[in-house]
Amino acid sequence: MIGVVDLIEVLVKIGFIVVLLVGVFAPVLTWVERKQSAVMQDRIGANRADVFGFRIIGLLHAAADAIKLIFKEDFIPRGADRTLHTLAPIMALIPAILAFSVIPFGGTYTFGDREVNLVIANLDVGVLFVFAITSLATYGVFIAGWSSNNNWALLGGLRASAQMFSYEVTMGLTIIGLVMFYQSLSMVEIVAKQDIFWHWGIIWHWPAFILFLACAVAENKRIPFDAPEAESELVAGYFTEYSGLKFVMFWTAEFIEIVTISALCVVLFFGGHHIPFIADAKLIDCFSSLGANIANLVAMVIGVTVFVSKLAIIIFLQMTIRWTMPRFRYDQIMKLGWKMILPLSLIWIFVVGLGMLTNLIPRI
Amino acid sequence: MAITVKKVDRNVDMTLWERMYIPEMICGMLITWRHFFLNFVGLFLEEVGGKHYRRIATVYYPEEMPIVPVAYRGRPVLVRSKNGIEKCVACGLCEAACPPNCISIIGGERPNGDRYPDSYVLDGSRCIFCGFCEEVCPKEAIVMSHDWKNLCEYNRSKMVYTKKELLYPERNLQKRFDVLRDKYFSAYRYRQSPNLKTEPKE
Repeated sequence: MIGVVDLIEVLVKIGFIVVLLVGVFAPVLTWVERKQSAVMQDRIGANRADVFGFRIIGLLHAAADAIKLIFKEDFIPRGADRTLHTLAPIMALIPAILAFSVIPFGGTYTFGDREVNLVIANLDVGVLFVFAITSLATYGVFIAGWSSNNNWALLGGLRASAQMFSYEVTMGLTIIGLVMFYQSLSMVEIVAKQDIFWHWGIIWHWPAFILFLACAVAENKRIPFDAPEAESELVAGYFTEYSGLKFVMFWTAEFIEIVTISALCVVLFFGGHHIPFIADAKLIDCFSSLGANIANLVAMVIGVTVFVSKLAIIIFLQMTIRWTMPRFRYDQIMKLGWKMILPLSLIWIFVVGLGMLTNLIPRI
Repeated sequence: MAITVKKVDRNVDMTLWERMYIPEMICGMLITWRHFFLNFVGLFLEEVGGKHYRRIATVYYPEEMPIVPVAYRGRPVLVRSKNGIEKCVACGLCEAACPPNCISIIGGERPNGDRYPDSYVLDGSRCIFCGFCEEVCPKEAIVMSHDWKNLCEYNRSKMVYTKKELLYPERNLQKRFDVLRDKYFSAYRYRQSPNLKTEPKE
């Protein structure tokens, strides 16, 4: 039986995540994408939108975009399937946000006799849940391409579904070695086991991290794997026929997927909310003079901040990749997925298995 | 100067290191990161009103003006010499050389016998900024200035420049004269040089 306090706690966590994703990360990432690309290409970037003469380094362009897109006509092309055309952006956006529900953005803290675990749903099969939910996003993309009654959109949708299905398999397999290492599918447990710096995923599984990041970028359909929305080939790919708020939904979904994938990287490879060499209990001990509750609160704030900063670093890495690499050809994408990353991930599972059998890799 | 041709073999096989992709990718990312961090500090300093700390090519146009190169061909102007009258003798060569026929001259004669353009009309909406008029002019009377602002209008009739609008003081065009003389008479000067043994081909 769920109590009122439990309900409030869950609602607060959901509110925090939704505000963080939709309210903070999505608009700020549009700014980052514009500004970072500009700065690394020796340009200045968008900075003309102002309120009473204050430009705030171009941050207001996100607001200007939002206002523009809200007042745009919501256009459905002739011959398009109206129901599916309307449903597709929702189907793309919901899995993107939903996948965040099992990602722990902090540790476990005690307030009085109440334990607060900073994850919305502490599932035993969290890793599986994330992969199951992110694969649902393919439907939104494909239905968008299918229902638009547009050849470019259809081609984009086909490419997207083929690419996402192929990389889905590989992405799951790259994580198997890690799951064997931590002997758990629960995100919370995996983070808890990375309490010690030498047990971080990146230390033991850096080849898996490279493979995982490649798959993750392919899964997000971003450069160098942006064949589904290749501007020079397919206009805008699967969302060619979308305008106004439906376009915003696709666009928000893309940015939230980046955040989700980065969060997954942080949780699986970079120790979640843990500061290197400082365990959670030690952190709470540092502030114990303030009283148990406040010490826990401070540790919680620090944990969430560390998590978000790690997230920001991984997102920055992904953005750099986006502005450095040229696009792969479509057959190269398929070849990379099936002929290179898939065998490599299988080899890595074998290596980890062998290492654990011979006790070269410790069991934790 | 003869054009040097460098042959580039484009069918080079990549080495194993390059085919591994990831090290080369990291090298590429290091380049973008270097540019990013060099410009990043200066960006924020500039937003709060600092000087130029960055290597940024962007010009904030209405606030900042781009510096045009000396050989830039802007709006064609008539040269007004130091005594206040135009150098033009209304020979009509520019009128004949002009590819889009945008120049029309009506000549006149002063009491002392000097010829001058009674009316000199240049249709700015037809001008293609080719610079043939300045090349053909025997008196250096029409040159391409560095004037590039406010050349556009909503109405074509406003773009027809008369003599009054075309006149431009000579002292502001000295750099352009240097460029012109260098460009069109360097071959001539080269031939006159006593140190040369072989004649350059035209």
